[in-house]
Amino acid sequence: MIELKKVCKNYGLTKALTDVSFSVKKGEIIGFVGPNGAGKTTAMKIITTYTAPTSGTVTVGGYDVMKNPLEVRQLIGYSPETVPLYSDMLVREYLEFMGAARHLNGNLKSRFDWVVQAAGLENVLNRKIGVLSKGYKQRTCLAQAMIHDPEVLILDEPTSGLDPIQIIGVRKLIRDLAREKTIILSTHILPEVATMADRILVISGGRLVADGSFEDLRKKVTQRNSYYIAVKSTKKDFEAAIKATPEIEDIEYDHEQPRGIVGAHVFADHKVDLVEKLNGLIREHNWTVVEFQREKISLEDSFIKLTQAATEKSGSDVAAKEEGGAE
Amino acid sequence: MNDVKIIFNREFKAYFYSPIAYVFSIIFIILNSGLYMFHFFFFGNADMRAFFSQLPLTLGLIFIPAISMRLWSEEKKLGTEELLLTLPMKTENIVLGKFFASFLFYLVALAGTLVIPILLLILGKPDFGPIIGGYFGSVLLGAYFLSIGIFISGFFSDQIVSLIITSLTCGFLALIGWQYVPMVIDGWLPGVGQFLYNYVGVTRHFNDIERGVIDLKSIIYFVSFTILFLYLNAKSLERRKY
Repeated sequence: MIELKKVCKNYGLTKALTDVSFSVKKGEIIGFVGPNGAGKTTAMKIITTYTAPTSGTVTVGGYDVMKNPLEVRQLIGYSPETVPLYSDMLVREYLEFMGAARHLNGNLKSRFDWVVQAAGLENVLNRKIGVLSKGYKQRTCLAQAMIHDPEVLILDEPTSGLDPIQIIGVRKLIRDLAREKTIILSTHILPEVATMADRILVISGGRLVADGSFEDLRKKVTQRNSYYIAVKSTKKDFEAAIKATPEIEDIEYDHEQPRGIVGAHVFADHKVDLVEKLNGLIREHNWTVVEFQREKISLEDSFIKLTQAATEKSGSDVAAKEEGGAE
Repeated sequence: MNDVKIIFNREFKAYFYSPIAYVFSIIFIILNSGLYMFHFFFFGNADMRAFFSQLPLTLGLIFIPAISMRLWSEEKKLGTEELLLTLPMKTENIVLGKFFASFLFYLVALAGTLVIPILLLILGKPDFGPIIGGYFGSVLLGAYFLSIGIFISGFFSDQIVSLIITSLTCGFLALIGWQYVPMVIDGWLPGVGQFLYNYVGVTRHFNDIERGVIDLKSIIYFVSFTILFLYLNAKSLERRKY
């Protein structure tokens, strides 16, 4: 449905996107993740035909964004990050205007009713947009993106500024739509992508650094297995037992456990499973287990690792270029 | 064509959301009628020559910049430009919709000055040829200045900056057509003033029409420049892509 091939975008000397390629199938929900200024919004602006790529090609539904922008725009519903709305218009007037502008003609009435109900705007239809709360503005903006029943929805930070109940509402709305629509949404809130997106694209420093499901990404950044174990013992005995097990690469003691209990994070290579070994140790020393669990790397950690790795990489690229220039 | 109408409807309504438009229309009507009344009582002639001779200046300096400044600058400030330009519409049609909305608003304000010919009709026997010519010229001149205003508005996100630059541009075009201004310029740079008067100033063309000489050349001058600036506006908005 959406295909980007080697897309680059420069703003003057700043490189906003470098060699970004990915494709999105019909009906997929894509989560766009990355730190501020990574290029998420730029990529979305290119897909929606608002800006042109410096090089590379982008097609939506088979139409090239540069050659057939009108056809692409007809397929797309777009809600920008800044929630741009005409503050002097009534919500009703605004949605009618956007519906007409998207060539709804005869369907306008039924689509209008549907979108008002779906976005929960019944009570604010006759209010000026300027006086609405952030949450209602966000929902009005989502409503205009959906009013023409587009095949592709591009949502830039659709839940920013909403309260937790509204966030759940918007997520539900997006999930309900998801069955038939292709959706790209960007967000900082990581649990959100984990619950909503089929696939996550991590973008950092203008480059696509990861592409895959949440589990794929987690595997990608997990270099070693980690376990937490807390037993009734003395530190001395515990240390000796750990030292006698060569599979354990590293250990970090947890100093918050009370006296008489030793707690520690134990690490091993990602190919080695320590569950059996640790259970063996427990039986051997006859320890009473207080806590024992396999630790999963959190979404936040994997996000940080992925984006940091990318920044370091692009940082070294720049350094290498500078060295080359000096020669 | 339908797209033009959709944009036109919204834009024309938008003028009445804020008080700025009302304020400027009232200022426009009072200023022009007031300045005219001075001549009217002083010379006691039942014609509108004084009115039409000051009109290019009041239009170019104040009224047109005031109604054209918001057309794109407001969209840029609110960020709505992004949604507007990603609608399935040609940029040309959006520009035309905006232009016609501001043009109609101008015509409404201009209609407010029709009190004067009615007054003249009651008080004396005015020659309607120059009056009709004058209004016809004002319509063309307004369209031309508006197209410059909308073009300039496309570059700035600050309405005041658009207002000032449009005011300077249109004010210059109006002033250069007054006999004294090219003469002063000729004093500094011989030939330049006359050149500007002949080829750049609008007042000369406006005066031709206003005198009742509806010359095809002058009409073509106004219409073609209006179309040119609207076209440039659409192109400049599409250029943001590169």
